[in-house]
Amino acid sequence: MNSLAVKTEGLTKVYKDFWKRKSVSALTNLNLEIKHGEIFGLLGPNGSGKTTTVKLLLGFLHPTRGKSWLLDEPSGHVKTKNKIGFLPEESYLYKFLTAEEILDFYGKLFNLSRKERQKRIDELIHIVGLHPYRKRLLSKYSKGMLRRIGLAQAIINDPELIILDEPTSGLDPLGRREIKELIRTLNQQGKTILLSSHLLSDVQSICNRIAILNNGVLQVTGKVNELLSRSDVTEFLVKNLSDSDLESVKEFIRGKNGEVISMHPHLSTLEELFVNIIQHRK
Amino acid sequence: MILTLAIHTVREAIRKKIPHILISLGAIVLAISPFISTTHEPDALPKIMLTVFFQAVALLCVTGIILFSAVSLPHDIENKTIFSILSKPVSQFKFVAGRTLGFALLAAFILVALGLVNIISVFFASAHLPPEHRGIFKARKEFGAHHFHIQGKIHHEKEGIRWVMGGREGIAIWHFSHLHEKAKNIPPFEVELRLKLDSSRNVADTIPLSIGIEGIQSKENKTELVSAKADETVTLGIPPEIIRKNNDIKITVFPTLTADYIGTAHNTIKVFSIQKGFVFNYAKALAITFLKFLLIIAIAVMGSAYLSAFVSILSAFAVFLCGHLLDFIKDFSLLLHHSGAHEHGLPGMIKKPSGFMIYMDYFFKKPLEWISFILPDFKKFDILSYLLKGIDIPIETIGFSAGYTVLYVAICTLISYILLKKREFF
Repeated sequence: MNSLAVKTEGLTKVYKDFWKRKSVSALTNLNLEIKHGEIFGLLGPNGSGKTTTVKLLLGFLHPTRGKSWLLDEPSGHVKTKNKIGFLPEESYLYKFLTAEEILDFYGKLFNLSRKERQKRIDELIHIVGLHPYRKRLLSKYSKGMLRRIGLAQAIINDPELIILDEPTSGLDPLGRREIKELIRTLNQQGKTILLSSHLLSDVQSICNRIAILNNGVLQVTGKVNELLSRSDVTEFLVKNLSDSDLESVKEFIRGKNGEVISMHPHLSTLEELFVNIIQHRK
Repeated sequence: MILTLAIHTVREAIRKKIPHILISLGAIVLAISPFISTTHEPDALPKIMLTVFFQAVALLCVTGIILFSAVSLPHDIENKTIFSILSKPVSQFKFVAGRTLGFALLAAFILVALGLVNIISVFFASAHLPPEHRGIFKARKEFGAHHFHIQGKIHHEKEGIRWVMGGREGIAIWHFSHLHEKAKNIPPFEVELRLKLDSSRNVADTIPLSIGIEGIQSKENKTELVSAKADETVTLGIPPEIIRKNNDIKITVFPTLTADYIGTAHNTIKVFSIQKGFVFNYAKALAITFLKFLLIIAIAVMGSAYLSAFVSILSAFAVFLCGHLLDFIKDFSLLLHHSGAHEHGLPGMIKKPSGFMIYMDYFFKKPLEWISFILPDFKKFDILSYLLKGIDIPIETIGFSAGYTVLYVAICTLISYILLKKREFF
């Protein structure tokens, strides 16, 4: 076998009805290779086959055709799951437990020792910012808090490969930024991350490579920078120029047969504005 | 891992207050039991308490356990919490086994809690009973006769009962052997007679009987005259000196008056060694009841591995009900096969073959036979009569129940694992 974190070969999933008649082609002939240490984004609109891909990789669904491997083992291999962390698209957690209890439970499923579990729980609860609510039942958590504890459970085992399905859904901009920072930190620690999302800005800001799915078919795959770069368009970001200086720049470009497509004061993103205000108030 | 999942299951039940509800309802039923009108027998109250516990309370608990165990797995699938389990290094087998063990621990906890309430109530209700009515507190080991014959004349024989006329016209004799293994620590023995009585005398409240107990080896004997009443069991102690010197004994019975008759059969008389330990016997009864719970849990989990919550509840109840009616199902299947043969008291009128029966035979016989073969027989777990009669539950009965349960649970768990392995989680 190769040494890839994730590999699929002709992975196909056709949902069938009770009578085994073909009903929906959810994924068609997907060939993917994700290297160790990458943050790989799986992009696509709703119903494009992202979640089906994730479920096939984890063995929750059986492929109609094709094969897939995680960390060089076939999908669904139980022992390999010791090295995998998974955050489902919604935080499907046992709501009758507290944050501490649920992390302890999942830690036990990984056969972590009591001491190790305690250390990881303390660490993770701080990382996801739920320290004040660690003894509160999950049934009393907001959607964003559930997302955070969901992420904590996904990394309780310090996994090599982390599969995150819509990790920032339900989070406020501050939460999204924190989670994105956490994903980057995890990647810097050498972990491979497969991130499925339809939020393009999230994927663009943190992924090294992406694949775009539509109607279950892989449309494009490659490095984010390469896919987004246009060789015929150049963008300047300049500071401290007067209006007359800007006019001179425009003239210079025209003189070189260039075309100025747009020139306007720089706008920060709404997310940046929101985060600045909230962090300033804190 | 399995234990972690089991403890998780118990915790889930506790957080959802399932044991609280079941124990409270069970305790209420037990509290009501003394007010259920019964016969005027002095030991009726403790007996009704035992009956209510092993019938009504056990049924209540089975209902609760079925509801919880049949619903749990479908809820995990519907709520998708199964994703967070199966994405961890947990195989489908461990998941099923852990859940099943958790339900079993829960059932054991509820049974022990309610059993304690029951046994304390039984002791309390029997505190003032005279010794002769404290039969339920015995845990007697039963010995059946190895040989039975009538010496002299049999008056007549009907439906397997041999009738003997009094006045030594005929003497019923039973032989019992291997009553004890060692000469030391021999427990007290007693003999229990359930004779059928009849008399040609006009006014005969009681029938005088001569009962002789003789040691085969030492020839020592004791004869007693006893006045027996119809439908009443006669119990006599066997003198210790006879038992001490003899491992085998002979019991002879005849009515002293020529106008009286006794109806006898091989099993009319039984000898019991009186073991101490009602509590231990009760614990054995609880253990067998627990095995019954475990069996229905495994069936409920198996159903829930493939079916929806509602359908798996229905199917578990159906299996539980049919498991108690297995004799009837077997009988009915037999009846369809050979219309003349039946053993369990179905009306004689449907013995006669007809076109309808041939039709039934064609369409229902085989399925019924298969069902009766596949379904667990819950009647094998009925132990109440042992407690009510003060009979020690034989270790073989526990062994058989345990083996039967282990086999069923293993098969059900394996099927659950295969179902879950084949299943997809959308």
